Amino acid sequence: MRRLARWAFALRLARREWLSGELSLLTLALAVAVAAMTSVAFFSDRIERALTQQASQLLAADLVLNGDMPASEAFRAEARRRGLRLAETATFPSMAFARGQAVLASYKAVSAGYPLRGEVQVRDGQGQVHAGRWAPAPGTAWMDDRLARRLGVHVGETVEVGGRTLRLAGILQREPDGAMDLYNFVPRLVFNQADLAATGLVQTGSRVRWRLLVAGSPDAVAGYRAWLAPRLPRAARLEDVEEARPEVRTALERARRFLGLTAMLTVALSAAAVAMAVRRYLARHWQPVAVLRCLGLTGREVWQVFATVLLTVAGVAGVLGTVAGYGVQLALTRMAAAWVGDGLPSAGWLPWLMGPASAVLLLAGLALPPLTALRRVPPVAVLRNEFVPTRQGVLVPLLALATLLGLSAWQVGDVTLAGWLLGALFGFLAGVAALAAGVLGVLRRLPLRPGPGGRFALAGLARRPWLAIIQTVALSVGLMALLTLTVVRSDLIAAWQKSLPADAPNTFVINIQPDQREGVRQHFRAAGLPEPDLSPMIRARLVAINGKTVRPAAYTDDRARRLAEREFNLSWRATLPAGNRVSRGAWWSAGSRVPQFSVEKGLADTLGIRLGDTLGFDIAGTLYRAQVTSLREVAWDSFRVNFFVIAPAGWLEGEAASWITSFRLPPRASGFGDGLVAAFPNLTVIDVTAILQEVRAVVDRLSRAIETMFALALAAGILVLWAALAATRDERLSDLALMRALGATRAQLRRTLLAELAGVGALAGLLAGLGALAIGAVAGQQLFNLPLSANLWLLPLGAGAGVVVVIAAGWPMLRRLLRASPLDVLRNV
Amino acid sequence: MAKQVIYHGQTLHILSAASLTVRTGESVAIVGASGSGKSTLLAILAGLDTASQGQVALFGQPLASLSEDDRARLRRDKVGFVFQNFQLMPHLSALENVMLPLELAGRRGARDAAAAMLERVGLAHRLDHYPRHLSGGEQQRVALARAFAPGPGLLFADEPTGNLDPATGRQVIDLLFGLNREAGTALVLVTHDSALAGRCDALYRLADGMLAGAAT
Repeated sequence: MRRLARWAFALRLARREWLSGELSLLTLALAVAVAAMTSVAFFSDRIERALTQQASQLLAADLVLNGDMPASEAFRAEARRRGLRLAETATFPSMAFARGQAVLASYKAVSAGYPLRGEVQVRDGQGQVHAGRWAPAPGTAWMDDRLARRLGVHVGETVEVGGRTLRLAGILQREPDGAMDLYNFVPRLVFNQADLAATGLVQTGSRVRWRLLVAGSPDAVAGYRAWLAPRLPRAARLEDVEEARPEVRTALERARRFLGLTAMLTVALSAAAVAMAVRRYLARHWQPVAVLRCLGLTGREVWQVFATVLLTVAGVAGVLGTVAGYGVQLALTRMAAAWVGDGLPSAGWLPWLMGPASAVLLLAGLALPPLTALRRVPPVAVLRNEFVPTRQGVLVPLLALATLLGLSAWQVGDVTLAGWLLGALFGFLAGVAALAAGVLGVLRRLPLRPGPGGRFALAGLARRPWLAIIQTVALSVGLMALLTLTVVRSDLIAAWQKSLPADAPNTFVINIQPDQREGVRQHFRAAGLPEPDLSPMIRARLVAINGKTVRPAAYTDDRARRLAEREFNLSWRATLPAGNRVSRGAWWSAGSRVPQFSVEKGLADTLGIRLGDTLGFDIAGTLYRAQVTSLREVAWDSFRVNFFVIAPAGWLEGEAASWITSFRLPPRASGFGDGLVAAFPNLTVIDVTAILQEVRAVVDRLSRAIETMFALALAAGILVLWAALAATRDERLSDLALMRALGATRAQLRRTLLAELAGVGALAGLLAGLGALAIGAVAGQQLFNLPLSANLWLLPLGAGAGVVVVIAAGWPMLRRLLRASPLDVLRNV
Repeated sequence: MAKQVIYHGQTLHILSAASLTVRTGESVAIVGASGSGKSTLLAILAGLDTASQGQVALFGQPLASLSEDDRARLRRDKVGFVFQNFQLMPHLSALENVMLPLELAGRRGARDAAAAMLERVGLAHRLDHYPRHLSGGEQQRVALARAFAPGPGLLFADEPTGNLDPATGRQVIDLLFGLNREAGTALVLVTHDSALAGRCDALYRLADGMLAGAAT
């Protein structure tokens, strides 16, 4: 057959089979797979963009150049040339005067265009709150409540800022980048940059922090960042949200993993559906292929014809699925609008390409091996009215595995993570198959005497073991997703949120002198607050690792260089701080005075410090050397006082330390801080309620986004259950027609089908419960770093849920089979 | 009785006048060319399909007065089938296929009865074989065992030798008539093989939807 003729034949065959409905199931399964994948891809793309944007709100920009001088004109020109938007802020502390009162304020002069990301909220004289992106007009200022209260001014009155008198235009309720200034405990006053020169406050030697805010398309920002990095002036640094705040970074990282987990499960479910549909399609073509071979087609030509047919299917299903995925995602977005805020950013173009491409990839991975077996169909098979399955060796699972891994890694964007999850998933599949085979084998041998429906259901299952195993495995993947998504997920989220408890500290007190400790404690007691946990803090510089001098320039990593340059806050204590976990080595025994260090794991990784290394710290001119005896994992989002490096009590106590504490200040005691500062003027009290609210809002939105994603994966799982049932439809139909001809009543058939569904559901659900238990344990410990106790309720819950879900999802489909006419047996269906 | 179907807006008269009585132990052959409506007649007689006009009574019960489930129970208890294409369940072994109607009827000792029946048709050594491992003749013998196992009062056979070579076909037919005699079952045989039809007590010819009797 000539190539062109072969093509034409293949396309005619594809068209004919489509019209006859022969390809519908495969196309549908593949389209559902693609729709599931692309809707997740579209949606997570948009969610991630939204997250990045929301995270950007903590910076009020996508990228910030932070320096002690205004950014040079060359930097601005380059940013403008790249189509980026710019704004600038200058912050510095100074005294504000009004009504004869002087209060220390943190000034922020903002240029037009501020904020580039997020919104400011300002309350006017009537108590109305306005949110938007604007800077105060020249000649006016906003200040926060605390400052207005202390100064005793109201909206409309004036305040003196250096040599300039500004009218108070509103009370600042929220500034998007306020949270970035953790130690910006001084009340805020914001005014327009146009007034800055007139204040006369900025002079040589002034402690002004200049921030150039940059925002634009991610590509442009990335390009600008790459351009800027090597040109950074000394003492200037680039900030983006990923590295600006550890707690935000942790939250984003966890969100990404949750999204990845969902995407992976969706991919696995989809693949199961496609595999079943391919199996069904090719099984039904054994005979036609034999006929084609009899008619003179070579094995290679058969292969090419069916490869073309399948490629056409992949193309059509890919496009249909992508469009459907976009539609599903639109519905989801509408659903999620109330949660993720007004209008998600639109999705990128990549999912549009990914849809059809993954359809081809998925079908190739799953169909190529059986297709190759089809090539070896002997013409003599035409004489045997049956499908002769051939051994497919290890090629099938390997190819399918490669396909899955490729797709998942692509979706998760993290090969290690994809590997972990895939490993767990395949282990689960193999385990489920083995267990299901074992259970069925036992059932087949047991002289069971269940009720009439149960007997046939059992016979149906035990007499078609491979079919039963495939179904059980497919169903339990879906159920495992369901359990993982509901029970395990809420366990994980609960554990996660436990790390951000409602009573998280909201106030830091720093700079407590040694002789003030007792006084501070008394102050706490007098206010009825719990005894504060005071931690010592010493400024130290890391000067040597294993005797080698630490040179910041030797580090290629930005963060490492910055860490090596700056001074650390060292602390000492006898016991492991709450919220810390020793990941390697061991914490010292209580009372130990042996010189040694415990180092935060992230810091150790960044600076290349290993357990057993000897570190040298310069503390006020004295060198302290000791071995690293433990590495700690620290919950940075706990808002507790945390330290990168800790030493045992007693060793460093001779050095001058100041003390720090964090505690939860109830709203009713809001005057406590002022009283404390009045008693100890050198203390600094930092109110982190605002920061906490920002971080909590981000975390809440992340959880909601994840919930939405899980709902989608769940829907995909149910669709796959249907695909699995559809794959066995023909066999059931002919079985039922024959049973009907042999005199089975409708009630008997119903009982048979229900009992079979219930059996499969219970078995699959039980195994799924086991799988979810394992996944929860692995995910909790390995991925999320959260302790998770085994929830044994998963097992009965899984079995029950399996029965309910499989019957609820399967019965509407199977019920139609009850109408199977006994007449069909005469028609040779 | 009569049967019409509406196909693409046109009424097709498959059966226009058919009248037939089968007594206990009697064997009746219905012959006719392909497409003459033999299978439709069989389906109506067995209660698998319903007549458009007229009525069919099995064991004194008018089928029209029975619900679908009642008809199924009647088939289960008193009617056996043998099909041209055997219609064995591919996933069940020979023994399990024969057990099926016994299990459906909730009979005790299904396994032993089925094994005995398979022994009777000469397949005692094939109990655990699946249909795909059996020859056509063996498959049809399993089908015969399945049909006779519940001890039906009436057996319908639709071209039972249609898929078999003449020699095998003869063996199967001998077996069919032998079992029929032993059990005293009434037999309705649909075929286009006049030699086979000639072995029945009565012969009916179906042409143009009309059933005409012709005693043998």
